Amino acid sequence: MAGQGSVLERIDAVDEPFAKPEIESVRQLTATTVVAMETYQGGEFRVLARKEFIKRFRCSVCHTEKPMAARDGALFTHGDIRINHGRAGDALVCAECHHEKERDFLADSQGLKVDFDHSYQLCGKCHFRQKRDWIGGAHGKRETYWAGERVVQNCTGCHNPHSPAFPRKMPETYSLPLDD
Amino acid sequence: MDDKKLKSSPGQKSSRRSFLKGAAALTAAGSAGLLTGGCGGSVSAETMGLQWEEFFKKNYRLMTPEEKQATVDRLERLARIRHDLDIEVSNREPRENVLYGYAFNISRCKGYMDCVEACVRENNLDRRSKTQYIRLFEMDPGQLDPTSGEGRYFHEVPAANKFYMGVQCFHCENAPCIKACPTKATWREPDGIVVVDYDWCIGCRYCLAACPYWGRRFNWGEPEVPLDEINRRQHYLGNRMRMKGVMEKCTFCIQRSREGRLPACAEACPTGSRVFGNLLDPDSEIRFVLKNKKVFRFKEDLGTDPKFWYFMD
Repeated sequence: MAGQGSVLERIDAVDEPFAKPEIESVRQLTATTVVAMETYQGGEFRVLARKEFIKRFRCSVCHTEKPMAARDGALFTHGDIRINHGRAGDALVCAECHHEKERDFLADSQGLKVDFDHSYQLCGKCHFRQKRDWIGGAHGKRETYWAGERVVQNCTGCHNPHSPAFPRKMPETYSLPLDD
Repeated sequence: MDDKKLKSSPGQKSSRRSFLKGAAALTAAGSAGLLTGGCGGSVSAETMGLQWEEFFKKNYRLMTPEEKQATVDRLERLARIRHDLDIEVSNREPRENVLYGYAFNISRCKGYMDCVEACVRENNLDRRSKTQYIRLFEMDPGQLDPTSGEGRYFHEVPAANKFYMGVQCFHCENAPCIKACPTKATWREPDGIVVVDYDWCIGCRYCLAACPYWGRRFNWGEPEVPLDEINRRQHYLGNRMRMKGVMEKCTFCIQRSREGRLPACAEACPTGSRVFGNLLDPDSEIRFVLKNKKVFRFKEDLGTDPKFWYFMD
C-alpha cells in the first residue's frame, strides 16, 4: 500500500530519477521534433519542430538578392500579419526578430542567427524569466506524455510570435456553483 | 405512526407471516429482474450469465489478476451485446515509483474552460445533468476561496482585473472521503490516485459530504452519453460507464495517466496552466514547479495532504 508519511516526506525520500524507458505504452510522437539546444534538470529534451508549419517556408525562395521595400511586403504578401508585440505604441518591427540578410533564419539584436525550430533562443533574449520556467517545466506545455522522453511545445506552438498575447474568446462552457 | 394508512386500505390484514411471504416474493422478483435486466424474456442466456457474474463479483481490490481480467472481459462483452459498442476496458495496475501530482497556474489560466469540456468528453460524463469533474471560477483579485468566484461567466475571457481558479479532486494522501466510505468502495491507489469501485459503491454519499473540496459527483440518474461520443478507451477504475446511484470523481484520467499520457485537461489547456507529472521523479516538471515557484495547497490546514498545488508566476 501507498502512504508512508506525507506527500512531502515521500518526495524528499527519493533522489533517483524515475527510470523512464520502462513505460512501454509511450510511443514516439508522429510530429517532427528537434533536440533542444538547452538542457533541463533531466538532461536533453526535444522541442516540436516549427518550420513545417510556416506556410511559405523557405523564405529565401522569394527573398532573393532582389531588393524589396519593407512597406510593400507589409501591404501585400505579408498583409495578414498584424504586429502586436512589444510595448504599446512602440511595436517591434520585422527586422528585430528576422534576420535581415538570411531570410530563412531569425536573428537577435547582436546578429546571432537563430533557427526557426529553436525560436526559444530568440524569445528568451527578452523573456528570460519565461524561458527559464519553460526549460524547467513551469511554463509551456509538454506534448501528450508525462513519461518517456520529454517533448515540449516551442514558444511559437502556443503563442503567435507576431501577436503573442492569448486572444480573448468566449469560454467553452460554464461551471455550477460549488454548493450545488 | 402509520396506523391510519394501514387501516385505510381495506381487506389488507398485515401480519408478520404475510409480510415475510411478500418479502420473499419480492426478492424472487428482484433476482429475476437482475437476470433479465428487467426487460422481459428477450435476453440471451449469455447476457444473463454475464450479469449474474458481474453482480456477484468481489471488490476490485480483493480480486486476483485473473478475476480482474475476467470482469474486464465481461464488461467489454456486455457493452458489445447491449449497445453494439466495442470498448476497451483496461485494468492497468499502478506503476512502481510513481506518485501523480498536479499543479495549476492561477496567474496564467485565462478561463477558456477547454479543460472542462475535454474532461467531460474523455471521462464519459453525464451530459443530461451536466456533470463536470473540473469547475472553473472567475475570481476577484485577493480572493482565494473558489466559493467566492463565479462559474457562469458569459462574456469573453480573460476579463480585466479577474483571475481564474479551477478545482477538481485533489487526490489527498490523507483523504477524508476514503475514511467516510462505509463499504470501502473508494481508496487511494499506490500511485496516489483516489478511485471508486463503481460496482461496490452503495450511493450513500458520505464521501461527498466528507470532501472539503467539492471533488465528488453523484449520479442521481442513469448517466447519458450519446453513443457516438462515448470514449471507448476506458479503465475499470476510471471512465467506464457509471450507473445510476453511484459516486464518481476525477481520476487524473487513470486510463491515460497509467499509459504515460497526460490527463485530458492538461493536454487540452491552451495556456499551459496545467502541469502534471510524477512527484517521485526529481527531474519532472511538477517537481520543478514545487521547487522554484510560489505554491500553495487549498485548505492545507485541514491536514488532507492533497497532491494538487496552485502556483503563480
